[in-house]
Amino acid sequence: MENEKAARNKKIRHALMIVFLSILFVAFVFPFIMVIINVFKVKADITANPLALIGSHGFTLDNFPNAIKKMNFFPSFGNSLFITILSTIGTIILSSMTAYLIVRNDWKANKILFVLMIASMVIPFQVLMIPLVSLYGGIFGVLNHRVTLILMHIGFSLSMATFMFHGSIHTNVPISLEEAATIDGCNKWQIFSQIVFPILKPTIATVAIIDAMAFWNDYLLPSLVLGRKELYTIPIATKVFYGTYSTDTGLIMAALLLAMLPILLLYLFLQRYIVEGITAGAVK
Amino acid sequence: MKTNTMSYKLKQYLLFAGVSTVIFACVVIIPFIYGLYLTFTSWDGVSRNKPFVGLTNYVNAFGDTGYWTSLGRTFIYSAIAVILVNAVAFIIAYMVTSGIKGQNFFRAGFFVPNLIGGIVLGYVWKFVFNKALVEISQTISSGQAKSLLATENGAIAALIIVSVWQYAGYMMLIYVAGFMSVSEDVIEAAKIDGCTGTQSIIHISIPLMTASFVQCLFLTITRCFMVYDVNLSLTNGDPYGSSALAAMHVYNQAFINKNYGTGQAEALILFIICAVIGGIQVYVGKKGEVQA
Amino acid sequence: MKKKLLSLAMVAAMSASLVACGGSDGKSGANGSGVSITILNSKTEIQTQFEEMAEEYEEATGVHVEVYNADTDTTVASQVATKYASNDPYTISMVDAKDIYSLADDYAYDLSNEDWVSHTTLGITVNDKLAGFPFCVEARGILYNADAIEKVTGKEFDPKSVATLDDFQKLLDELKAGGMETPVGILSEYWSLGAHWFPMIYEEQADPDAFVNGLLEGKEDLAGNEKYNELMDTFETLVKYNYAKGSASNADREETSMMLAEGQIAFMFGGNWDWSVINQYDYTEHLGMMPVPQNTSDGTNGKLVGGGSKYIFVDSSDATSDEQRQAALDFLNWLVSDAEGNAFLTEKCALVPAFDNIDASALDPLSLSVKSYADANNLVPNYNYLPDDHMTVVGQEIMQKYLDEAIDRAEVAKEVTEYFKTATPIAH
Repeated sequence: MENEKAARNKKIRHALMIVFLSILFVAFVFPFIMVIINVFKVKADITANPLALIGSHGFTLDNFPNAIKKMNFFPSFGNSLFITILSTIGTIILSSMTAYLIVRNDWKANKILFVLMIASMVIPFQVLMIPLVSLYGGIFGVLNHRVTLILMHIGFSLSMATFMFHGSIHTNVPISLEEAATIDGCNKWQIFSQIVFPILKPTIATVAIIDAMAFWNDYLLPSLVLGRKELYTIPIATKVFYGTYSTDTGLIMAALLLAMLPILLLYLFLQRYIVEGITAGAVK
Repeated sequence: MKTNTMSYKLKQYLLFAGVSTVIFACVVIIPFIYGLYLTFTSWDGVSRNKPFVGLTNYVNAFGDTGYWTSLGRTFIYSAIAVILVNAVAFIIAYMVTSGIKGQNFFRAGFFVPNLIGGIVLGYVWKFVFNKALVEISQTISSGQAKSLLATENGAIAALIIVSVWQYAGYMMLIYVAGFMSVSEDVIEAAKIDGCTGTQSIIHISIPLMTASFVQCLFLTITRCFMVYDVNLSLTNGDPYGSSALAAMHVYNQAFINKNYGTGQAEALILFIICAVIGGIQVYVGKKGEVQA
Repeated sequence: MKKKLLSLAMVAAMSASLVACGGSDGKSGANGSGVSITILNSKTEIQTQFEEMAEEYEEATGVHVEVYNADTDTTVASQVATKYASNDPYTISMVDAKDIYSLADDYAYDLSNEDWVSHTTLGITVNDKLAGFPFCVEARGILYNADAIEKVTGKEFDPKSVATLDDFQKLLDELKAGGMETPVGILSEYWSLGAHWFPMIYEEQADPDAFVNGLLEGKEDLAGNEKYNELMDTFETLVKYNYAKGSASNADREETSMMLAEGQIAFMFGGNWDWSVINQYDYTEHLGMMPVPQNTSDGTNGKLVGGGSKYIFVDSSDATSDEQRQAALDFLNWLVSDAEGNAFLTEKCALVPAFDNIDASALDPLSLSVKSYADANNLVPNYNYLPDDHMTVVGQEIMQKYLDEAIDRAEVAKEVTEYFKTATPIAH
């Protein structure tokens, strides 16, 4: 009896939650639906009535090939992919190691590094923009290389990633497990790579999504570093459609849809990873 | 193994944080110091000479009433936005991890706003506020309705709404990871001990998720304080410059009004305020963190 | 796990170094003839035409031209500055007139000895150095849709018949009586109000420079100024018939342009650059530009306001080689003296040329209007020395309120006067 009642309550609760989530969901995806509706219209129809399913000029697929051609889509896509993947991997490896060092060792140097990192997260990018290009363009002349951008991406995202790993190592990695490993003769590097890193899976997936998305969509930094057309990433390439006096909304929406797919796929893929993380976490 | 000698510490440090430190210093710290130097010059952002002027830029920044007004506005905007973003994100995260049907579908949906940025975001939301909502309110009240974006308080409210829309899905991610890291066993054990669902959230999940809260609060606070792109694409300061938040004021000061030094000085003041608030929050939060 | 991590890092490092080697430096030039130049195009609406031209130009001359689009999130000046800071400037930069003054001393090459100099009066000279090449002529005024007007009034529309505000008002009333309730559109964007509308008050003074200096020194009485009141009279009339009256700040550029193009409204304040927006909609045949109607006796209601617009300078720094500089100078010459170059300016981009040797008959309707006023010497020149923050302060903080009827004319005068007292003058 008790169980039946509990099960019924649970059902009602779940139903209520689904209703609530569905309402929120509509509000959340509404702008996205607008993008999808309008990507099949010419600009004149978009301005005239963005809500209409089909404009007076009819249904069109032209926005996609036009956008692909105008923004030089495939080379830009390759650049974006290359830069995003390497920057994300670099950030995750370096920041998880740094966070591990900071959490497990109460040294002064660590504290200073951590405080500097946290503080750096609130530096407005505009403060660093001109100095950055003056140093690396004006003095060292290393701009216009993808590797420079990857290193800068890592530099700017290290702080937040370290901060996130710091939190989850602190709460989720049992110190007793490491002590046991030490007794078994593992050194610090082995403990980190074989025990700590796997436990961090959910956080790794989260950081991977957040950073990959940030790198994929970043405009300002790549535009400063990559000044040559053949190095352009998707966000820089998309800028052809943005004019001071006219903005080609149809093409922008097509570019947006084309560009967001990889991140959406990555997200859906890593979501499973985060869920699997429960079992990984159950090691303790 | 000796773990407290200097050479051991140095080796460990270089092994685990050596590369990070070098990259971090090169990309962030050194340019920052150079940027600091520029606040003591009267550079216009373009010309070759950067005359040293001492503290003039800071004096100008303190005398720039527009800056302090925009900063005050930023405080109000941030306070409301931070609370709403986190409340919404936490509730969504709880619901999509509670085992309901289609939770993966919901997770993907709430995440989608993150993928729309820049001018499309501004364009779509402008349409929502200026056309869709105006039309709806006109049908309801049958009078000439003004867009939210056309009134001074309304524009700030619109910024808050869009921020919640944009960041809630992002913060949901972190809260979801938080919920996931609270192991099922603990919750089960609590249930056996007679905890109700709500009780187990308040007494078990939330304390175990302190790290997630610290992260989310810190991220939302700093993002709200430095928000620029949404501000630019949605209101661009309209109406009457009443919705220009601090970062936008700083940017205009440096690049449109060509007072690079003053803009840079104002940005640094913004940075310090941000760092202090964020720092206090992290410090308090870390104290409450539960060690595994 | 260790191995996995390591190999991952290895792969990352290796592919990184691979690309580093492959990473090319655009300056070295892809093709045989060697020279490669870069152009910053800040007239973003002609980017496509520019890129097509670059390809044809390379085929014809062997010079590789890369055209970069100006970034709309920031100012052209800061984009140029950023490039200079990174020691990677564009060979040719197209900027606004006022940017030439701040950039000329440090970075602009002296163009005084070029062949085209005798064909224009619109170049910008800074400290005896001809630094700015005028890219085109642009002007501001009232855009009209004659088809929309004639449909209501039933008679042919002659812009000259509404030169005075009184006559203009009569026509507006006639349109209103004929069923077009709100015949006017006013853009609420601050650059339109602060950089296009309000500066006419200075530009149409007998001596604009003296007037602005008077304001800066706090000596000028704006509220009592005749031109100020004439133009504000006109502005108030426009506001009265504004289709977005009551929620004026909802009126955005795309929608207003569309309404004018399709004849839902008859008038809109703007310039010939608006054609690039209008031509994206189903525009009617007879559009044009006319002077801003005013009850005035000084003749300005027979003139558009404008002149040289978008200036090109050639980089003088060491980052540009002599060959590149020569290629850049050749390119400017090509624009002015070569038939292909002329066709690029006037036919492909539909710009009003700033040089008297260039024939332009196939322009869009708005540019044709501008050209006819320019040829008849009926342009009031631009004033290029307003303080940098004039556009945001006067346009956004003051004129938007006025457009929304939140403050009156006396308050506008008071706030603008106050603003000038603390504004930083532009040295010139």
